[in-house]
Amino acid sequence: MTRSNTTAGPDSMITAVGTYLPPWGAARRRTPGLDEDAVTLCVAAGLAALRSVDPADVGRVVLVSRDLPLIEGSNSAAVLAGLGLRADTEICEVIGGAPAVLDALTGAAPGTLVIGADTSPAGAAAAYCGTSGAALTASGRITRSMPVVTRDAFGRRADYADPRLVRVRGLGASLDQLDRSVPIAAAAGLAGRDAKSVCATEPRDLPTEGPSAALFALATLAELGRPAGQMQRLLAVEQATLGLADLGPGEINVQRDERAPRPVPSGTTAPGSEMSISLAAYERAFDAKLRLVAARCRRCGTLAYPHRYRCLGCGSEDPTDAVALPRDAEIYTLSTIHVPVPGLVSPYTIVVAELGDSGVRVTVRLTGAAAGSVGIGDRGRLVFRLVAVRSGVPDYGYAFLPDDDTEVTA
Amino acid sequence: MRRVAMVGAGMTQFGELFHLGIKDMLPMAVGEAVASVDKGFDRGDIGAAWFGELVSTDGFASGILADSCGLLDIPVSHLENACATGNDAVRHGVMAIASGMYDVVLVVGADKVRETSTRTTFWDWMGMTRDSAWDFPLGLVAPANFALHVNRYLHESPATREHMAMVAVKNHRHGVSNPKAQLRFEITIEQVLNAPMVVEPFGLFDCTPQSDGAAAVILVAEDVVDRYTDRPVWVRGVGLGVDRVMHAHKRDMTTFPPTVKAAKQAYAMAGVGPGDIDVAECHDCFTGVELINYEDLGFCERFGAHKLVEAGETSVGGRIPVNPSGGLKAKGHPPGATGVAQCVELFEQLRGDASNQVDGARVALAHNIGGPTAVSAVTILGTARGG
Ligand SMILES: [Zn+2]
Repeated sequence: MTRSNTTAGPDSMITAVGTYLPPWGAARRRTPGLDEDAVTLCVAAGLAALRSVDPADVGRVVLVSRDLPLIEGSNSAAVLAGLGLRADTEICEVIGGAPAVLDALTGAAPGTLVIGADTSPAGAAAAYCGTSGAALTASGRITRSMPVVTRDAFGRRADYADPRLVRVRGLGASLDQLDRSVPIAAAAGLAGRDAKSVCATEPRDLPTEGPSAALFALATLAELGRPAGQMQRLLAVEQATLGLADLGPGEINVQRDERAPRPVPSGTTAPGSEMSISLAAYERAFDAKLRLVAARCRRCGTLAYPHRYRCLGCGSEDPTDAVALPRDAEIYTLSTIHVPVPGLVSPYTIVVAELGDSGVRVTVRLTGAAAGSVGIGDRGRLVFRLVAVRSGVPDYGYAFLPDDDTEVTA
Repeated sequence: MRRVAMVGAGMTQFGELFHLGIKDMLPMAVGEAVASVDKGFDRGDIGAAWFGELVSTDGFASGILADSCGLLDIPVSHLENACATGNDAVRHGVMAIASGMYDVVLVVGADKVRETSTRTTFWDWMGMTRDSAWDFPLGLVAPANFALHVNRYLHESPATREHMAMVAVKNHRHGVSNPKAQLRFEITIEQVLNAPMVVEPFGLFDCTPQSDGAAAVILVAEDVVDRYTDRPVWVRGVGLGVDRVMHAHKRDMTTFPPTVKAAKQAYAMAGVGPGDIDVAECHDCFTGVELINYEDLGFCERFGAHKLVEAGETSVGGRIPVNPSGGLKAKGHPPGATGVAQCVELFEQLRGDASNQVDGARVALAHNIGGPTAVSAVTILGTARGG
């Protein structure tokens, strides 16, 4: 079964693109941290894209990934909370690769945030479609079957291991069915060698190969300084399925949350019982914990985090107001746990950090840096991470990410 | 309020007592306490009993004490107040007699930490003591709770890891002569500093071992004390202090406010001050905690604890010996038993019978901190009846 569509779709305007790479692994082949999964990657990339956007303008979110942690349930609620978007925002989870991201982008109404996330190699990127920026137009699509690598719902993989077959009868045969009159400026979803063979000029290496690759390619094109008035063609590939889109002229705000890569720290996991969870307690804590929201006393103004029935300051038991906490943080005290702890990877560092000038402290884990590499007084910010997986439930919250002078790489 | 005297005290060996169940340990401790009463003791005199145990082993705690010790015809209550359970159980016994309700009360503390594999013990015990949604999933294991305090303390005070090591060396030295102690060997500063790191800043020798054990004391009213002994130990003061539970809500982590509160109550009730204490058993679950205790209990000025250990003032022979029994560090730490066992040690110290005797001890102080770091209990004992 093949399907080919070469008619142009409606334009959408790409206003902003945000990217995120975990700091672990090799430069172009990152590994997610132990406290990261597709949901936290989506949040990190989405927040980067939304740096220049008013969150109130976001009306729809599309998550594209093949690695979302839960088949049933709560990925979307966690992403909306992590992005600080209202719980009534329209959101859908798409199982797909780079071509699915192009499909989601072209034809997206203003106010749409499209996020792609990959865990191997790891990375995520997001594009916000608004009313300004650069137009993106669908210019071709073909969906064909070439399942050289398969993975079922239980994560079981099989690899047919015939790269030549894929190159010739997968990518090659699909390309033959598309309009090739316009040279390809960037190819997402292909390994370096194959990308070179289809691009008109030397392509930039992309850090991922799944859905986020299409968005990383968009970021790269936007940053390259395109010739005025000229459009650029983007190819998105997943096995034998391809998509083409043309990026028109116009400024795109690109924000990268990428740090220099560092070796994955070694750790030991102790065998033994895992942490259990109380889902009732999880549900009560959800908004405060995933949205980093404190309760402010209406009588004396004291902030309580987490929210509590009786005010820490004056003892008032009146209703409180929800207040978003600052995310810049300074370590008040800390401890690094070296002893093996069943269900966790040691060593790990726990810090008590003070948030901005709010007077609020939080007890959280260190992320993005080797255990024990920070000290009292060090500054950083709170970021959305996976605190634990308890009885199969991803338990999200915040972690302390120390400031780092390798923060932005262009 | 009636004055209360301690007339008997006993305890089991502390250690990994794999060969003993809770139903063996309880009658052993109670039997030793009964046997220590100078003029003999009839169990039928006991009016009520309190049992301090952190984690119930083999089921219903009060029933197990009553059943295993032949106390089926009196009220028996179970008490849990984190690591302050032992001294709080003593406090409840004191209140029961002081009120006039009972003349003779039995106070027992015990825990059987090593009844489960260390693998499962971890989360089983953690689940009881951490907020399920917030602190529990962080992996805030017991030593980490204290390490958050001690790291900040080391940051603000002149004390160093070497001073912490001095505490370990002292308490191990003290424990050598104690036949009930779990770790009866001396160690050196270098061994402490070079030991594998458990939870920074605590190396292996900065930490208490995991212990099983039971301890018991017999309290009686002043009116009847002459029936049991001519050299009673008087319970001069008791106190219990609490604090906010989450670390993020503790503004100054270089101190344990529960200790300050509990000590203030106990000193006031006893009519004594820190300068009157001749010997103390304080909660040294981790070495750095003992340093903070010196300051919270008023044995020295704020951030002056390092000078005390440097000068050997808290060693036996010094100005104010602390943990002559070896402390939690060397004697062991079965949480429910710990505070009661501190009183057992001080009972012997004040009667001149201790294995590591502090000469001329007349006023003594026992102290627990736990919860983690959100509850403290202090007991002050003396040879004098008091005002
Ligand atoms: Zn208030």
